[in-house]
Amino acid sequence: ASKAQPKPNLSSASNKKVIILPCKNPPSREHVHLWLEARKQYENLQKLR
Amino acid sequence: MTTLTRQDLNFGQVVADILCEFLEVAIHLILYVREVYPSGIFQKRKKYNVPVQMSCHPELNQYIQDTLHCVKPLIEKNEAEKVVVVIMDKEHHPVERFVFEISQPPLLSISSDTLLSHVEQLLRAFILKISVCDAVLNNNPPGCSFTVLVHTRDAATRNMEKVQVIKDFPWIVADEQEVHMQEPRLIPLKTMTSDIVKMQLYVEERAQKT
Repeated sequence: ASKAQPKPNLSSASNKKVIILPCKNPPSREHVHLWLEARKQYENLQKLR
Repeated sequence: MTTLTRQDLNFGQVVADILCEFLEVAIHLILYVREVYPSGIFQKRKKYNVPVQMSCHPELNQYIQDTLHCVKPLIEKNEAEKVVVVIMDKEHHPVERFVFEISQPPLLSISSDTLLSHVEQLLRAFILKISVCDAVLNNNPPGCSFTVLVHTRDAATRNMEKVQVIKDFPWIVADEQEVHMQEPRLIPLKTMTSDIVKMQLYVEERAQKT
């Protein structure tokens, strides 16, 4: 005779500890550096006007 | 003195507002102190009556705000055990972890003079500790990036689903690579105990950073 399969404990499974993080990455250092350079150039141009 | 449960006066929401505001300041300051981004994007501001450095890069600021918007419902329901700011090297392996361990007492003993008044002072001490933490940490390798990890329960992540969709900011379960750190050195920074929240901050630093 086949043994009855034990039922999985869904309540404890859904309450297990997890570590989560955002799927998206923050802007890269290079991207931010380019933005900073562009802003400096813009500010210099504004001063010259 | 009155004793209230967490449900009274919607204290969960108050605590979440206070902690998320604090975490926003703390994340900006960590990114500045640990030189994750160029110092030129940071501007001096005053928070908790102390000077702090806050980014003025719109995309980065939005990213931090979206992250905390998603974390807020977990804190509100006391379901965020730890919020961790992880600094990773070019290979996306963690080199430093700033661990904010949060717990909220189920019962609140409140008197009018202690209500929230002490919390700002306690949070200020955390900010001051973060601003000088570079003195006890080794330099990070060039080209580091960061992410935010949240230690919670599987069932609790359902509280985040709505805000993830609204913000178009999905979250996933972390890989072993994002979590594991070889031989971390533990540096305790600050602990606070107040009527509404207990929190401790420590840094886990990888022994070999380069």
